[in-house]
Amino acid sequence: MASMYDTLVNLLVDRFEVDRAEIRPGITFEDLEMDSLFVVELLVVVQTELKVKIDEDSASPRDTIERAAEMIEAQIAAASSAP
Amino acid sequence: MTAAAAARAAVLTGIGSFLPARRVGNEELAARLGSSDEWIHSRTGIGARYFAAPGTATSDLAVGAAERALASAGEAGVDAIVVATTTPDRPCPGTAPTVATKLGLTGVAAYDVAAVCTGFLYGLATATGLICAQVADRVLVIGADTFSSILDPDDRSTSVIFGDGAGAVVLRAGTADEPGAIGPFDLGSDGGGRNLITVRSGGSAQRLSGVEPPPAQSYFEMAGKAVFWQAVQRMSESSRAALDRAGWQPGDVDRLVCHQANLRILNRLADALGISRDRVVGNIADVGNTAAASIPLAMDHAHVAGSLRAGDRVLLTAFGGGLTWGSTVLVWPEIAQT
Repeated sequence: MASMYDTLVNLLVDRFEVDRAEIRPGITFEDLEMDSLFVVELLVVVQTELKVKIDEDSASPRDTIERAAEMIEAQIAAASSAP
Repeated sequence: MTAAAAARAAVLTGIGSFLPARRVGNEELAARLGSSDEWIHSRTGIGARYFAAPGTATSDLAVGAAERALASAGEAGVDAIVVATTTPDRPCPGTAPTVATKLGLTGVAAYDVAAVCTGFLYGLATATGLICAQVADRVLVIGADTFSSILDPDDRSTSVIFGDGAGAVVLRAGTADEPGAIGPFDLGSDGGGRNLITVRSGGSAQRLSGVEPPPAQSYFEMAGKAVFWQAVQRMSESSRAALDRAGWQPGDVDRLVCHQANLRILNRLADALGISRDRVVGNIADVGNTAAASIPLAMDHAHVAGSLRAGDRVLLTAFGGGLTWGSTVLVWPEIAQT
């Protein structure tokens, strides 16, 4: 199974026309010129494509892609372990 | 034994729209806001919008659209007029009686519906109710807004998005099995989100507060990020509910007419519903977000352009302040071009 980081990278490339060569660990959404509206749009796409429930504040433009992936994974794990 | 007659229904029989004369391109706004055509376009999909002339009001745009809708329906009059608007001519009275009188229809039932960008769908639902309850046989439903009257010209998150305009449809009594029959509907609201899309001052809450409001509160405000998040989800859930009630699958939809909020919302909504983006009807690039007017304006432009054709299965969906949302379906009927 692909990691959430890889999933986000693929969505950025396939759905947001980000150049794969620009993406590396540690880069922020802001570095990719993605503002808060683009980030929330990415979260909408994550939610609809992966069929998971996440929070609209799961990531902000100053987060790295790695950090966003961690926060999304934590929410999915919390939801699946809920009674 | 004969089959039971099909149920009474509201049937679309005419459509028209109206834009004010002054077209405002992105360059004009970009210069003031320190922005650019490219910035506006990439964030919204909008290239231009229209602003009403000084000395005019929402009712003038509504009348322009209504006259064209009546001509398209071949009707001289109706029994009732419903005006969906966020920007009435005055806080009191409603705008619909003024529209009726300007149309030469003084005496007919006339009232406003306030559901912001979902207003046209709510108006369509109440008009359908008037017809199905046999209160009226012919109803004019108008979505009309002049957001230029409430926009903060220095707020670049809203001032580039909204434009003025009006769209109108004529409904007549018919049967549920005819092309043009409207419904079923899905409608909903969440007042917990009232601060996301709002004009804070001018209503009873502010007037009874005993506090003089800061001037900025007389302008329209929108929390863009939260609205984007809510809009895609509410419209996709509502669309699915209306499709379920109609017994349609997303793949049955020939044309998706979504409130023209933001091109990126439209595209993500289509993806979420599994409806191909080439089935999305849109004119946001040319007119911006015209609030209550956007759905009938988009339908009329598509009808005139020949991209909405008789027999097309059409899904209408909207999301707006309130929060409010709603969806309905129809099979596009034969309608005369005017």
